[in-house]
Amino acid sequence: MKKLSAINRSDKKTAFLMLLPLIGLLTAFVIIPLFYAVFVSFYKWNFYQENIFIGFENYRRVLSDPLFYKAMWTGLKFAAIVIPAQFILAFLFANLIRTLGGKFGGFVKTSIYIPHVISGVVASIIFLFIYDFDGGLANFIITSLGLEQVAWLADVKFALTSISIPAIWLGFGLTTLVMLAGLNDIPKTYYEAAVIDGANAWHKMIYITIPLLKNIFLYLLVVGVTGAIQQFDLPYLMTGGGPLNETMTPNLFIFTHFTKDPYMGYTVASALLLFVILAVISAVIFKLFNSKKMDS
Amino acid sequence: MRKNKLFVVLVSLFTLVILMAGCKGTGPEGESAGAESEETESGKTVIDFWVSWGDSKADWFNKWIDKYNASQDEVEVKATFIAGDAWEQRVKAAQAAGTGPDVMTMNYGSIVFSAQQGKIQPLDEYVDPAIFEDLHDFANEFVSFDGKHYAYPFNAEPGSILLYRKDFFEEAGLDPEQPPETWDELIEYGKKLSKDGRYGLTAAGNTNDLAWSHWGLQAMTGQLPISDDWSKATINNEGYKKLFKFWKTLYDEGIFPKQQPGMYTEIQPLVDGRTAMMFNGSFTFDALRNEYADVVDKIGVAPLPTPDGNYKQPTSAMGGWTFVVDGNSKHPEEAAKFIEWFLAGDPEIMVDFFELSNFSSFTGRKSVDEALKDHPEASNDEWRKILLEKVIPYAVPEPIHAWEISLAYANALERVYLQGQDIDESLKQAEKEINDYIETNDYAGTNPRLQ
Amino acid sequence: MKEKVSRYSFKIIGFLVAAISIFPLFWMAMAGFKKESEVLSYPFKFFPSEWILTNYIELLQNPAFMRSIGLTLFVAVVATTLIIFINSMAAYVFARLEFPTKNFWWLYVIMTLFIPSMAILIPSYIVVAKLHMLNTIYVLIIPGIASAMNVFLIRQFYLNIPTELEDAAFIDGANRFKIYWYIFLPLSVPVFVLVGITAFLGYWNSLIWPIMTISDERLYQIMQLLAYFRSDQGNDWAMIMAGSTIAVIPVVVLFLIFQKHLVEGIKISGIK
Repeated sequence: MKKLSAINRSDKKTAFLMLLPLIGLLTAFVIIPLFYAVFVSFYKWNFYQENIFIGFENYRRVLSDPLFYKAMWTGLKFAAIVIPAQFILAFLFANLIRTLGGKFGGFVKTSIYIPHVISGVVASIIFLFIYDFDGGLANFIITSLGLEQVAWLADVKFALTSISIPAIWLGFGLTTLVMLAGLNDIPKTYYEAAVIDGANAWHKMIYITIPLLKNIFLYLLVVGVTGAIQQFDLPYLMTGGGPLNETMTPNLFIFTHFTKDPYMGYTVASALLLFVILAVISAVIFKLFNSKKMDS
Repeated sequence: MRKNKLFVVLVSLFTLVILMAGCKGTGPEGESAGAESEETESGKTVIDFWVSWGDSKADWFNKWIDKYNASQDEVEVKATFIAGDAWEQRVKAAQAAGTGPDVMTMNYGSIVFSAQQGKIQPLDEYVDPAIFEDLHDFANEFVSFDGKHYAYPFNAEPGSILLYRKDFFEEAGLDPEQPPETWDELIEYGKKLSKDGRYGLTAAGNTNDLAWSHWGLQAMTGQLPISDDWSKATINNEGYKKLFKFWKTLYDEGIFPKQQPGMYTEIQPLVDGRTAMMFNGSFTFDALRNEYADVVDKIGVAPLPTPDGNYKQPTSAMGGWTFVVDGNSKHPEEAAKFIEWFLAGDPEIMVDFFELSNFSSFTGRKSVDEALKDHPEASNDEWRKILLEKVIPYAVPEPIHAWEISLAYANALERVYLQGQDIDESLKQAEKEINDYIETNDYAGTNPRLQ
Repeated sequence: MKEKVSRYSFKIIGFLVAAISIFPLFWMAMAGFKKESEVLSYPFKFFPSEWILTNYIELLQNPAFMRSIGLTLFVAVVATTLIIFINSMAAYVFARLEFPTKNFWWLYVIMTLFIPSMAILIPSYIVVAKLHMLNTIYVLIIPGIASAMNVFLIRQFYLNIPTELEDAAFIDGANRFKIYWYIFLPLSVPVFVLVGITAFLGYWNSLIWPIMTISDERLYQIMQLLAYFRSDQGNDWAMIMAGSTIAVIPVVVLFLIFQKHLVEGIKISGIK
């Protein structure tokens, strides 16, 4: 990237002036609350009594709670189900839409995106009905196929996958759109050249499409993984974290403590630990992303 | 460099303050009163009152609040109704920011801790001590801590009773007036009542519901999963083994569905005939009588079956609601006076409430019970009679120990009936989890009830 | 021949994919036409056995519901406009200007991407309470405006804009803000559509924050109102489904209007 003129005073002033609203708002509504949260995480804090400084006691309790690790692990597992499924579906859909082209392609594209506008709360309600043991669509299909009814939300083996499906449904629209944009950006000549060299459809995908979409994949990965780990609405409304904490995502874990604990320190400490974990995961992916950015 | 950073931070904050100041009160809606106003235009003290029931009983509350406001000219009570979904966040955030209400509703389980932490204030200083003599023992115990009264009871309700369909009993050749009394009977009846499209019994299905709706069943074993002084787990014993076996049988025999049809508190499965029996709370009476009048006659009510069939033991935990004065309220006296008028004054107010809610909950006051005795509807209410005679006298108060203890129990039960883990092993694991919790949190001896 | 067959099979697959992805929404709309007792029926039924219009009519005639839709629309539009302006201005600075401490501020902004909202929920509430913003329309709009994600996206977009245009403007003596205003803003429509729709959705669907900060029913947001409906109406699912269906319509319409730009916005923004 070519730099414009050298640093000068007017630049500095303009820069700060133009950044001011953003920095001001972020400071007031995100950074100050964050520091406040860090501060209270070292206290026995309940708003009504003198706060008692207890050092790292809250953190020690969180870190010695097996359920905290289980919740983190569940968040990762959830991401590991949702993200690949979303990627594969979106990739196939994007290719399909491109192949179809024209009005019909546009129609398919719109239909795929529309679930994205639904809120998690509404999606949870819809899928609660779909997963109903006796009157739900899912078991209607299963039994029509001659199989036995499945306890989608109560069976330890299925619960996490069951709540992943609405998450995939809510998310594949945007993922498809982003991939489509990437696909449309690959010059046709690349493919034409490949065909002359005798490449088949598979080769084209492996050697042209996927490498050129690498940056898109990485971007979607950061957004997708941090989003999936922070999933809250779906398990909260559909399973309450059960059965056997199989769907206890980190945010739901934090929320449960928020509502049940007499003191707030544990809640805040576990939320801050989640922040650290998310930041580390993202930093790793980001680093990858930014370095690749330079190559292209 | 240093100077620059500081400068920017200062300027940012400064602009922000200007921005906020500019915003205040100039919008299309202006600034509404909310929790901040202390006085009305006419100089009355404003008492903010938060109610945790959404809007469902708002008209009733407002009716009586209006009467109170009209009855004197010192205080104006303003009620805000907050749906259950957001109650906890709303209250905790407001408490943290010091914008909480003067009076709010609080469930029994929270009173002791809130009192211990100064979140609520004792009422004794401001009200006539006689109002506490009007309370039944159980209610008095609920609201007391350290020799003082920190709340006044609004209502009380058993959280676990048996509801069943008399018509299905007849269909299956069972006597509709003879509900199952022992666990074995329940299993036997359940088998007879199950058929295609109908389950023998539905009950709590998810971890959360199991954790709290089983307090009554836990009491039948003779002790909670943790000892009274909170020093050790008391879950690994014969009582719990029997309870787990009972639950597992219900599941394995197909008396339960593999996935419960909705939340514990939902009554629909019984109404639309998907199940013949159901564990639920007395709060369901309200919905049953309001919305499903056509099936009410077909529904029977009984205490939960017990291991030996004797109902004269705890079969349910009592939960319920009270009004409390916030620890930071600037007008504790006015707030307490309002509570006294509303909950401890004219028994008619509460009679009116129980009438409106179809006698789905109970009073903690002797005088209200007296008034209900002469009430034609209440005195002829069969369901009410059964609960008053067979459930409430023996019910245990809802426990106040940490939620983790109830969760450890629920998880242990889930391991057994959902995953087929050996009962002994599962209980051993739960015992370890509870003991670990006690150790990491220095929990032993912290039960405020014993202090 | 083979070509034709595969084209048809693609069309069929395309149709199936579209049908599956909008099916749950259709089901929701249908449920709004059902009688309360029929939302869950045994066995499963898609269409109502008797079409009931009362749910929809009742809602459309309910002044509180309609006002809430109007107000939420107002909040979302104002907030979206502010989001676009404030974040793109900052994005421009990070993309083009050089100044001391730039890296520090970039990190300062980007770090906020990973803060779980749960961690700062109560502290944020304390801040808005101290600023006397509770129960005002500002508390709904202002705290969500600064967004690291949007700054990041718009910056990536700006990095890909060639510098020739600005060089010419520079020579003509334009200052930085003028360049941003007259050159960058007009070029930004595609990325603004992307950011704008996402922001609008966020505001339209927000639930916890309005519930915490708004108790004045004149200011109820639509999802908040629907949540109160849920606890209020007991389990009148047909009504709730009808309400959710009506609440989804504005965002679907918005998307249909802007969808062309949406793909373009992603395409040209730096994430490719």
